Amino acid sequence: STVWAPSAPPPGSPASTHCPGSRLACIKEPLYHPTMQIFLIQLINLFVCFIAQDVTYFCPFIGALSGTVLVTNYRLFFRCMDREPAFVLDLPLGVVSRVEKIGGASNRGDVSYGLVCKDMRNLRFAHKQMEDTLRKSIFEVLVKFAFPVSNGLQIYAFEYGQVFPENGWKVYDALSEYKRQGIPNESWRITKVNDHYEVCDTYPSTLAVPVNIPDEELKRVAAFRAKGRIPVLSWIHPESQATVTRCSQPMVGVNGKRSKEDEKYLQAIMDANAQSHKLFIFDARPSVNAAANKMKGGGYESEDAYQNAELVFLDIHNIHVMRESLRKLKDVVYPNIEDSHWLSNLESTHWLEHIKLILAGALRIADKVESGKTSVVVHCSDGWDRTGQLTSLAMLMLDGYYRTIRGFEVLLEKEWLSFGHRFQLRLGHGDKNHTDADRSPVFIQFIDCVWQLTRQFPAAFEFNEYFLVTILDHLYSCLFGTFLCNSEQQRFNVRTVSLWSYVNSQLEEFTNPMYVNYSNHVLFPVVSLRHLELWVGYYIRWNPRMRPQEPVHQRHKELLAKRAELQKRVDELQREVTNRSASSSSERTGSPTRSITPVQTFV
Amino acid sequence: MFSVKPTKPTFRSYLPPVQTDVKKTIESPPKKVEPKLLQGEIVVNEVNFVRKCLSADSSQEGLWGKLICTNFKVSFIPTDPPSEQKSHLSHLLLGLHDIPLTCLEQVVTVNDTKGKKKVLGSNQKLKFNPTELILYCKDLRIIRFCFVEAGPESAKKVCLAIAHYSHPADLPLLFGFEYQGRRYHDSKVNDRGGLRTPIFDRPSDWDREIKRTGASEWRVCSINENYAISPSLPEHIVVPVSLADQDLKQNSIYFMNQRIPVWCWNHPNGSALVRMASIADPLQQRRIDQRFIPAITKSHPQRSEVIRSDLDKCLPNIQDLQSIFQMCVNNSFEESEERWLSSIENTRWLEYVRAFLKHSAEMVYLLDGKNTSVILQEEEDRDLNCVVSSLVQLMLDPHYRSLVGFQSLVQKEWVMAGHRFLDRCNHLKKNDKDESPLFMLFLDCVWQVMNQYPAAFEFTETYLTVLSDSMWIPLFSTFLFNSPKQRAQYLMDFAKNKAIPQGEDQLVYFPPVWDWSQQYSTADQTLFNNPMFVGKGAACVQNGEVKTFRRTKVHNTLLQLGLCFICMFTYFSTFSTSASVDFEPLFDGLPSW
Repeated sequence: STVWAPSAPPPGSPASTHCPGSRLACIKEPLYHPTMQIFLIQLINLFVCFIAQDVTYFCPFIGALSGTVLVTNYRLFFRCMDREPAFVLDLPLGVVSRVEKIGGASNRGDVSYGLVCKDMRNLRFAHKQMEDTLRKSIFEVLVKFAFPVSNGLQIYAFEYGQVFPENGWKVYDALSEYKRQGIPNESWRITKVNDHYEVCDTYPSTLAVPVNIPDEELKRVAAFRAKGRIPVLSWIHPESQATVTRCSQPMVGVNGKRSKEDEKYLQAIMDANAQSHKLFIFDARPSVNAAANKMKGGGYESEDAYQNAELVFLDIHNIHVMRESLRKLKDVVYPNIEDSHWLSNLESTHWLEHIKLILAGALRIADKVESGKTSVVVHCSDGWDRTGQLTSLAMLMLDGYYRTIRGFEVLLEKEWLSFGHRFQLRLGHGDKNHTDADRSPVFIQFIDCVWQLTRQFPAAFEFNEYFLVTILDHLYSCLFGTFLCNSEQQRFNVRTVSLWSYVNSQLEEFTNPMYVNYSNHVLFPVVSLRHLELWVGYYIRWNPRMRPQEPVHQRHKELLAKRAELQKRVDELQREVTNRSASSSSERTGSPTRSITPVQTFV
Repeated sequence: MFSVKPTKPTFRSYLPPVQTDVKKTIESPPKKVEPKLLQGEIVVNEVNFVRKCLSADSSQEGLWGKLICTNFKVSFIPTDPPSEQKSHLSHLLLGLHDIPLTCLEQVVTVNDTKGKKKVLGSNQKLKFNPTELILYCKDLRIIRFCFVEAGPESAKKVCLAIAHYSHPADLPLLFGFEYQGRRYHDSKVNDRGGLRTPIFDRPSDWDREIKRTGASEWRVCSINENYAISPSLPEHIVVPVSLADQDLKQNSIYFMNQRIPVWCWNHPNGSALVRMASIADPLQQRRIDQRFIPAITKSHPQRSEVIRSDLDKCLPNIQDLQSIFQMCVNNSFEESEERWLSSIENTRWLEYVRAFLKHSAEMVYLLDGKNTSVILQEEEDRDLNCVVSSLVQLMLDPHYRSLVGFQSLVQKEWVMAGHRFLDRCNHLKKNDKDESPLFMLFLDCVWQVMNQYPAAFEFTETYLTVLSDSMWIPLFSTFLFNSPKQRAQYLMDFAKNKAIPQGEDQLVYFPPVWDWSQQYSTADQTLFNNPMFVGKGAACVQNGEVKTFRRTKVHNTLLQLGLCFICMFTYFSTFSTSASVDFEPLFDGLPSW
């Protein structure tokens, strides 16, 4: 029974030493299959756990395909050689949400199992039952390596040791990002009060807070905010000094508890901006939900307690509603689309409505800060889901830096990773408990909102659609460490490769050729449902009929090359002009009587 | 023929300043609450203290100003214009708040307090003082003006004037005839040389097409010179080499409108695309078949078979199209935001778009995959045939995906083929039964293909939008007539009336829309160019996977109206999975040439 897979091999051991010989299961060499060597040598510390021939993959679009399956500790690889070009399915096991046996009685002699995936697809395989142990084993291998956490194994990202020219972990440094924003300044300071995550274990160690609130008071504010997530600076307007700050809900409770420190603190945030005598508190939740939270000790700021503050509810639903909406969307788009009711079916998922509410909320925040020159405080319940969506989207609208590739990486590192969006919990990396109520597509929704922005402002973003899809792919793949763990503290001692190492080593793949770097360009998207569209390139990309007839990716690269070439030519000409005018001016001084037409450059 | 010096700003004075004009424009900034008038344009009526509603809720904020009716447009001039907001395209002939009278679909007056509402036509009376005027536009805008603060009598007069002037009694009363006459005399216009788009009014244009497509077994035939045979075909047509003029003449009587089979396009493999009207007398069917079909077969290098597709039998008729389009217009704006998608679905417009694309893709399959010549047959050969024949060519021939190529395609398959633009657009608002948004449907289909092949077209969505907007500006010869014959007749009379020298080229004294410098500056025209375009010779469009669904965004607004009342007409298109399944494998790897 130890035929198939090695039992928990030590990381780093070469595959060959861990495969006891067997007809099906094991391979002596990692390069066993000529068609499969490509990927085997690409991944470090990968070992083959299982290989089986004559497996049928039931493709919902092509039909049944017969081929070879190979399972490693990172991925499932299926190849069908009967077709030209060969059909290949390459699936990181991290996307698998659950593995299920599909009945055996109906398909006599066949073993069938299905993979429900987190990335909007379901896969079904079958093979002839050769011996009783076989069925169990394939199933076991998949379950084992798709859910390493549940099986006491390591997630593959910890094994993957690929070295890239750039170290993506260096992309974000909190101090330099605050410095870029002009912090510290006369109103805001950097505090190290959370250096050892004592005040708040889900917050980053570096925080920016109002100058006149000492660290001791911060701790008292933390006592009044859920999970100790005090209001801290996310972004400051370079001109008006209006700020976007984020936090969790106040612990008001049924009795309407107040905190002098918290009130004073919000006053300090308002005072830090001389342009406005008001403070807007955006509560992401529907007001009913916010009120219901009082029963659990939470709640929202009363306008009586917080003078000059105005509270606005943004009506964005909770993680459970969003999860249900995406589930419905998957039903509508995968595998087949019912053409005659496509639009009304899409409407009934309410997915775009949720996207709209999030974008509308972020727009109100951006508008308050930019047009109203007023500081805003954003929170939901815990301040790690909807709050992150809102602050990062508003920052994306307000600050062109975040629309560059590196800037966007910084934005994710800052607003999502360092501020403790619970990626591990929301996505359930390597965890077999697929019904976990903590799972929710909060981050996917955010990326969808970003995609909507790129549709409305095609020249405002340095990155392309492929960049966003790549981020979502590696959100699940567990190849990189970027989206593992729940907080900065948990990520602290972890040795993995950053997704940005990979991305930044091949920027041309992710660059939008239409990008124009406008300075001080604030984006105010139209958030009507009439302007939002379903992100077909992500949600329905498995359906070959929904793919673009003519992929534009290659064309984008050509345009980039063309642009680089032209830029080079411009530089050359400029140099020539500079040289010429330098030599002509020397000539002029030499012979002042000669008239020379001055050369002008228009850049 | 320079008339009295106009006191109001002339057409020229607000053209984007040419370098020599710089001083002049600086001296007189057009700050006053005065309409900008074109040559020959006169103010009919005007009313002050009008509020233009900027949102659907008329009680909400708006823009105050003066509402003016001229013999060309409805103009609104804000007293306190909001700070210059440069929209990405600025029209040279129309201001931000201008609506050409031809663009009006319905003029509705409302009296809120009395709860009265009346749709106004020509020469009508109005028994109540309107508190509100609602203009339903053909480009899908709905514009509302409020008269609460305005003089009731002058408000009423303006409403009646707008209604009256938007229902011209006769074609030559359309403002274009006045305008182009003045323009011809006032400005030294250049010759046709500036126009790069072939017009297909002379044999050489057809000859070039024959050569370009390698249709050596086809010839230009001029039997219809002076429209001697058919009143709706162009003067020069292309027919099989094996058919003699005499033969064609004799047989022409059996076709509706005498529209015999004429050549549209040749595939490099030799198959031809041909269009024709139905045979008027069914008893003659065999005789005609025996005459024409062998001739078309003979013109194919492999003598391949010919397939005839009767579009009347497989595509929706034009009345259905019109009613669905109306539904689309009415529903989509009134439905709530949350019900947007299903209200679009309910109109079924996209099903129609799909039907046309699908049928065209099937024809593409026959021509390209099956190597057969195709005859498109329609009762009159002037509506559905235009859509399908131009879509087929667009899918198969990259030449037509260039800007000039596309314009020549519209010229060849729509304008010269006798599509009844005058009736289908209902410019004179005389016969609602004939109105149908066929050209709009065609542009939508092009948009759909364009979205599936973002790098295959030289032109952009912006171009398609301004082209569709131009349909409602009555200044260009392209969309004003039902046939080349009608155009020739009207323009001959026009030339006589306006003392235009005999022998002058029609294109010079009454230019088509293709001379875009009439409407947009050179800088703005660059927005027609698709930066993604890979150039001619790119891979073939439409591999038969007509199954992608897409969102269409036809801002059917004049683009400069972005500021005031944008009616976004957004919808998705779904393509059925069942019907084209048979074609799928065969469409793989179409040749690129």
